[in-house]
Amino acid sequence: MFLKPLRSAALAVATVALLSTSALAAGTLRVGMTASDIPLTTGQTDQGGEGMRFMGYTVYDSLINWDLSSADKPSTLTPGLATEWSTDPEDRTKWTFKLREGVKFHDGSDFTADAVVWNLDKPLNDQSEQYDTRQAAQGASRIPSIASYKVVDPLTVEIVTKAPDATLPYQIAWIMFSSPANWEANGKDWEKVAANPSGTGPWKLTSFVPRERAELVPNTDYWDENRIPKLDKMVLIPLPEPNARSSALLSGQVDWIEAPAPDLVPALEGNGFEIVSNAYPHNWTYHFSRLEGSPWNDINVRKAANLAIDRAGLKQLLGGLMIEAKGFMPPSSQWFGNPEFDVKYDPDAAKEYLAKAGYGPDKPLTVKALISPSGSGQMLPLPMNEFIQQNLAEVGINVDFEVVEWNTMINIWRAGAADPSAQGAQSINFSYFIQDPFTGLIRHLSCDLIAPNGTNWGHYCDPEMEDLFKQIRNTFDPAEQDKVLQKTHEKYVNDALFLFVAHDVAPRAMSPKVKGFVQAQNWFQDFSTISIEE
Amino acid sequence: MLAYTLQRLLYVIPVAFGVSVICFMLVHIAPGDPLTAVMPIDATAEQQAAMRAEYGFDRPLPVQFAIWLTNALQGDLGASIATGRPVASEVSRAVGNTLILAFTASLIGFPLGIFFGFVAGIFKDTLIDRAVTAFAITGVSVPNYWLGIVLVVIFSVTLGWLPSMGAGPGGSTNWAWDYEHLRFIILPAVTLAVVPMGIVTRTVRALVGDILSQDFIGALKAKGLSRFGVLRHVVRNVTPTTLSVVGLQLGYLLGGSILIETVFNWPGTGFLLSNAIFQRDLPLLQGTILVLALFFVFANLIVDLLQPLVDPRIKRG
Amino acid sequence: MSTTIDTKTVKANPRPAAEEAPAKSKGYWHGVGARLIRDPVSMICAGLLALLLGAVVFAPLLPLADPFTGSMVSRLKPIGTEGHILGTDELGRDMFARLIYGGRLTLMLGLLPVAFAFAIGTCLGVLAGYVGGWLNTAIMRTVDVFFAFPSILLAIAISGALGAGIVNSLVSLTIVFIPPITRVAESVTASVRSLEYVDAARISGAHPLTVVRVHVLGNVMSPIFVYATSLTSVSMILAAGLSFLGLGVKPPEPEWGLMLNTLRTAIYIDPVLAALPGAMIFLTSLCLNLLSDGLRSAMNIKD
Repeated sequence: MFLKPLRSAALAVATVALLSTSALAAGTLRVGMTASDIPLTTGQTDQGGEGMRFMGYTVYDSLINWDLSSADKPSTLTPGLATEWSTDPEDRTKWTFKLREGVKFHDGSDFTADAVVWNLDKPLNDQSEQYDTRQAAQGASRIPSIASYKVVDPLTVEIVTKAPDATLPYQIAWIMFSSPANWEANGKDWEKVAANPSGTGPWKLTSFVPRERAELVPNTDYWDENRIPKLDKMVLIPLPEPNARSSALLSGQVDWIEAPAPDLVPALEGNGFEIVSNAYPHNWTYHFSRLEGSPWNDINVRKAANLAIDRAGLKQLLGGLMIEAKGFMPPSSQWFGNPEFDVKYDPDAAKEYLAKAGYGPDKPLTVKALISPSGSGQMLPLPMNEFIQQNLAEVGINVDFEVVEWNTMINIWRAGAADPSAQGAQSINFSYFIQDPFTGLIRHLSCDLIAPNGTNWGHYCDPEMEDLFKQIRNTFDPAEQDKVLQKTHEKYVNDALFLFVAHDVAPRAMSPKVKGFVQAQNWFQDFSTISIEE
Repeated sequence: MLAYTLQRLLYVIPVAFGVSVICFMLVHIAPGDPLTAVMPIDATAEQQAAMRAEYGFDRPLPVQFAIWLTNALQGDLGASIATGRPVASEVSRAVGNTLILAFTASLIGFPLGIFFGFVAGIFKDTLIDRAVTAFAITGVSVPNYWLGIVLVVIFSVTLGWLPSMGAGPGGSTNWAWDYEHLRFIILPAVTLAVVPMGIVTRTVRALVGDILSQDFIGALKAKGLSRFGVLRHVVRNVTPTTLSVVGLQLGYLLGGSILIETVFNWPGTGFLLSNAIFQRDLPLLQGTILVLALFFVFANLIVDLLQPLVDPRIKRG
Repeated sequence: MSTTIDTKTVKANPRPAAEEAPAKSKGYWHGVGARLIRDPVSMICAGLLALLLGAVVFAPLLPLADPFTGSMVSRLKPIGTEGHILGTDELGRDMFARLIYGGRLTLMLGLLPVAFAFAIGTCLGVLAGYVGGWLNTAIMRTVDVFFAFPSILLAIAISGALGAGIVNSLVSLTIVFIPPITRVAESVTASVRSLEYVDAARISGAHPLTVVRVHVLGNVMSPIFVYATSLTSVSMILAAGLSFLGLGVKPPEPEWGLMLNTLRTAIYIDPVLAALPGAMIFLTSLCLNLLSDGLRSAMNIKD
């Protein structure tokens, strides 16, 4: 009932916007982010994936970047500040990185091998002058394999890992390189650098008001000519509240919002705004406890649950903004493989599996599940969980929810299923960033990483899986490594190791004026191709 | 008079100390680890311990308090857990924005409230009085965060007249009192002003009605005092209580803006507070509350010091 | 949102009530009752509140839909849908049932903190006012410190630190209301204590508890009670505000403030539906305020 006045309002808004934005240069993109603050600007960002998206891959580069140019295929790694990298066939722990020549930081200083070592000390070496707790908190855990590093010559760096680890390039892609000279110029004070940072990326930060806005302008000297931004300016505005975000878009105060609430999508579309979405490595799942006594130790129960979920119905609930899970990785992932177990909605088959496990209408199975009413990446946790609860009840699995606050949930997730804080729950509803082999597969099920030592919440430990993880780390040819990763994922699916439910599609809503955006299948995005048509 | 002033001034010290104790304790009545929300999700036990030590959470309480108070007295309120920025600079920037909003809201709410109160009081028990009272009581009863949302839907989204969020076209840093910026403050300030206006209206109405019904007014009228003269008399009698109510409402404007600022994304202390709460950024919560409470203490001090000046009846001391 | 507790004005005029009668006689209450009945506004409000109170208390006995289960297929149905007289919420749960059950928590969060604070604050205030001396100083100066916080700020600060939850909201709201009630109780007690007949009773050697019970409480209760009534609406709006911020009641429990919050995104789909919880808060608070006004004038307490 609001749509009709809205449409004419959109016209009015456009007129007002024309009148009142005359001061703005043509080609300014104003983005409403979901974060409640501007991500850390000094290099290694906070605010999760969104932080890297808007303040990491914009202002900075890594030695190895993600290739964000395609919407049709999963993103892969691509040369960034390093043009090539290789391991020593004699000693697989030794990596050599050849650096790109002639790259300059925004402050004009040169990017050299010294700068690389300096930037690795920044999060790793707490004895170094430039060590920054805040960047270390975000960066150190991303590069767990690195043992040491040194300058070979001005354009060559050697990195040594603790053990052979073919996933190092993926780890390196997290590390952002800030200018040592700029840090010196700002009195070696990261707090001052924050207001005046300098990276090598396609965008330069020109204005920064904490919690309010950040303004970026193109770095016209960027080393990759194809990625010099077309826009005159990009403004980032933190708008954590979904309604405020949508209102800002509807009233013409921003041109682009991240994650519009599914309920608002029809109103936005009805007013001529575009909804853009794509698959990306995100996963919404029930992580099973594999402790003794957990009913999820029985593969029949796990398969039954996976066949009981009406994912198409769930998709409808989310206004179409999800991908139905067929496994742990999204179906389009390069690591999906060809699993034999078909994850689909088949309640009859589910009942059969459940009967095999010894449960049935007379002997229903009751499980306890940890859920949280909110949380980053959790999509719409309450409605989705209630939906799943109904689905599972239909085949004979009764789910009792233990509802906890998101921060409590993180603590329980870190502590593991055996910790008293888990209150005996047999699953935890978590969403995962699964962009690289480690975060995507290894960390959830590796024996060495059983919580609280690592993030293997459910205490799963399987020699066959362990062997696959070892192969991933020791396969240095990327194509061969992908094959091992596929095999690993096939085992994930065939053994039904998780409750595979949904993948988010990173919806964003934007004004029709925004042209040229290609949404990569990645947590990060490239804003260089965008222009604003007045 | 001087003795009263001095006494009142000195009294601020123990109150401010008490306030700081309460603010300090806020962090420590909080369950769980204050660092949870900000540590990267797969931080190791050592990384967690290192961060705890960095923020001083591993020391005994009284020591923490002594350090915190000493630092606070020097204007250092510690560092925000979520952003690592100094709390003092975060709060001072936000306080400025909240004061702009509170000031604008008081310019709308107080004069209107006093005006309506006088009108209703003078025409007590007439239709005008009833209408004004109904209006005032509505203002006091409506949940203002909800009113804010409704106003955004009407005036920003549907009509497109006013912005729905933010503090100016370029953020709050270059705030100016021109139309370009004032457009942004209209909706939040009106929303915020509704409650104080209702309360002031009710107070003034009661006071005015009360005085007008007293015998001496009749006597004054009988003695031939002009209408204006009577009114002047009423004003003088109404001022002290009105002043103290206005003083209390200032506290409301400072603290009550939290919900409004969340709805309008206004970068003030309320916005800061709600962020602090959701990220469980306790040093920031603590610092913001401390600064706001101290502001309120001083606002009340000023009101109390003005009181004897405007009140013909009170001789304190 | 009325979140101001203006004790200064209440404190300024406790005497008329206190001086009225040594102890309230039956005749006095008859008079109050008679005056109240002649006030149509108060009676309508009292009626509405009684209806609401009855509905929420006896909710489990009413033929209502289950407020916790819904169907995703029938989410956000408009008002007047068959089977859902007030429509359904974002999870397809019956709005009418949720509003009634939501009223339980919202009203509870309006009444309980004030009741607790009334009990605690009256004790503290009477104690401080009657005993005087260092005890008075200790109690009243502590109260002053809490008074240094704007009430809503104090509630948010305590709830923010304690985290979300019904019990935490109750605790924080009770703490917010104790200081103003203590202040009123103290000032009324102090003025009653200085009255000649109370003095006489004390000197004549009556047991202090008897003096307090007969002479002090008898005079103190009614102004404090009226004051507490007006706090109920403040408490309710504050509680809903806490839930709205995510600091109060946790989902899936129905509570008006929380429902208002979770229905926020529905405002572009069905604004009337999204506005229902807000309207309930508004109407209830309006009735409470009007009733408190009526009570005040019936008891002849000036504000």
